[in-house]
Amino acid sequence: MKVSRFSALVTVIVLVAGLFFGSPFVALLKSFTVADGFSALLNYQVLAVVGTSLLTALAATGLAAVVGTVLGYYFTFHKQTGSRWLKTFFSLPLVLPPSAAGYMLLLAFGRYGLIGAPLYQTFSVQIMFTLTALVLAQFFVVMPLMMQAASSAFQQVPGSLVKASHSLGADEYTTFIKVLLPLSRPVLVAGVITAFARALGEFGATMMVAGRLKTIPIMIYVKAMGGDAGVADGLSLLLVLLSFMILLLVNFIGEKR
Amino acid sequence: MALILENISLAIERNLILEQISFEVPIGQVLVILGNSGAGKSKLLEVVAGLIGNQSGKIIFGEEDLSQLTPQARKIGFVFQDYALFPHMTAAKNILFGLKSRQAPTTEQKRWLKLVAAELKIDHLLSRFPAELSGGQQQRVALARCMVLRPEILLLDEPLSALDAASRERLVMLMKKIQKKYRVTMLYVTHDHNEARFMGDQIMVVDQGRVIQTGPPEEIFARPVSRFVAHFTATRNILPGRIQEHLEAGQALVEVAGSLLLSTSCQVASQDVWVCIRPEHFSFVDETASASPISSISDDPVAAESAQTTDNIISGYRISQILPQSGATVLIELMNRGARLLVFASNRRVVEQNLNVGSQVEILVAAEHVHCLPRQPDDIYCRPE
Repeated sequence: MKVSRFSALVTVIVLVAGLFFGSPFVALLKSFTVADGFSALLNYQVLAVVGTSLLTALAATGLAAVVGTVLGYYFTFHKQTGSRWLKTFFSLPLVLPPSAAGYMLLLAFGRYGLIGAPLYQTFSVQIMFTLTALVLAQFFVVMPLMMQAASSAFQQVPGSLVKASHSLGADEYTTFIKVLLPLSRPVLVAGVITAFARALGEFGATMMVAGRLKTIPIMIYVKAMGGDAGVADGLSLLLVLLSFMILLLVNFIGEKR
Repeated sequence: MALILENISLAIERNLILEQISFEVPIGQVLVILGNSGAGKSKLLEVVAGLIGNQSGKIIFGEEDLSQLTPQARKIGFVFQDYALFPHMTAAKNILFGLKSRQAPTTEQKRWLKLVAAELKIDHLLSRFPAELSGGQQQRVALARCMVLRPEILLLDEPLSALDAASRERLVMLMKKIQKKYRVTMLYVTHDHNEARFMGDQIMVVDQGRVIQTGPPEEIFARPVSRFVAHFTATRNILPGRIQEHLEAGQALVEVAGSLLLSTSCQVASQDVWVCIRPEHFSFVDETASASPISSISDDPVAAESAQTTDNIISGYRISQILPQSGATVLIELMNRGARLLVFASNRRVVEQNLNVGSQVEILVAAEHVHCLPRQPDDIYCRPE
């Protein structure tokens, strides 16, 4: 059988891509030793970092879930002139380099920042280099994901259902709770899960505002640069496993719809 | 008491969707809105329901100005083409949605659910989800969902167009029955002339956001004001003709398709006209029967003029095709040197009179059924069906 040139080319590209994308995983597994990995992970300091990461990612995801859903709703049902520009603006963090995002957050919320300075002077509240800063940085990067998930979820609800609800006497809030939310739940849940995964792995923006605090990605960076392979291996594997499970979950939700 | 719309206009993103629409429907009557898709029919219903709010003009129901009220406060039921049932709720939950939103007491909710479900014969479907129901059943549930709220006005947006012929028949009869029983004022949007004639106390023909003609069905069907209306109400024969002689009020002798016909529906000043004849208004001359009391106006126009109902005789046509229709009728195409007429006949008539493809026939049409519309002299193009 004669193999066409094109299908040969496709096969080659698939193989090379497989090698390239597979090699980091294989390398990680090779570097990771069960004994070292677990002893490194079961260290008080490392567990605290895992705790910080989970806590801030959960908080950021929670915030993003609420704000992203509301913005998605707004941009689907309250379209006005200019709202397309506004939506583009809110989506910007999706493509913005995270370090730039973190730097801009510093400028805004730092002790001498646009909002940070008056906050500090009047209430002696400092945001930067606290857990709040971590949450805000992750929220900043992750909210647009949620907003986009929510607006595509709401857009796929047939317009006649919303009209029917209004004509049956339900106000906007009741329609949102009774009709829109239940019908877009799977997409919203998938959005929340994806947002959580992204928040947990956020590095650039978080790094800029973290000060001496550490999240898992920051810890991996520090330990890898410092030559402490045990912790870097263990934490990396933890993130790989978490990400994998999250992807499976999202796909499962997608198939159930 | 009536539902009155006064000069309703609506523009969306600078496109004029509705232009100066006005009408009046007495309470408890049905106005059918007939027109093509994209004519603005659905938008008009949404304006009345308050689902679109940036129109100009007035909507008055009885003493009340509806345009000041939210959609929730209008007591209007809306039935959608795609049924718009909430897919995550059972039929019962769908039906109770409005009563729950209005926080009606549970006992009342149960009572109305039972009553309306029995009336619409959906008692056995209440625990099913919309996806488990046929199209006709879904539309019954949607209708029930409106009726439990005892609306004063019911808006129906092509409610039958997604259904098969059999369910359509059943449902249209059911809707008429319910409308009569509850005397609900109805705006019924359709593009189907049969539905329009059956449902409507009045028919309003709209095109491109404008009202073209409003009137009782008989008038719309017998005396269309334009070719658009004639075409839309299935006047299958719209032929270019020329007035030979204007007689007294609204009567004229018209030359059309090689024959000279008397028309008593010819309020036209011009010489050139479109002659509209509905296919059901022809009958075949029975050659086997004994001499019938027919005066051929081409022989004796003066005698014809004096008669109240005068039959015109058209001859020289041959049957070129016989197309079976539903309901024991056929559509017969007649040709005479390029001129074409479409005529309905019952199956029985076809057999009795031995009508076959190729037979030469004579047909009759009453003068009152020959309707003329003005025509530009150079406009002889007949819109194909």
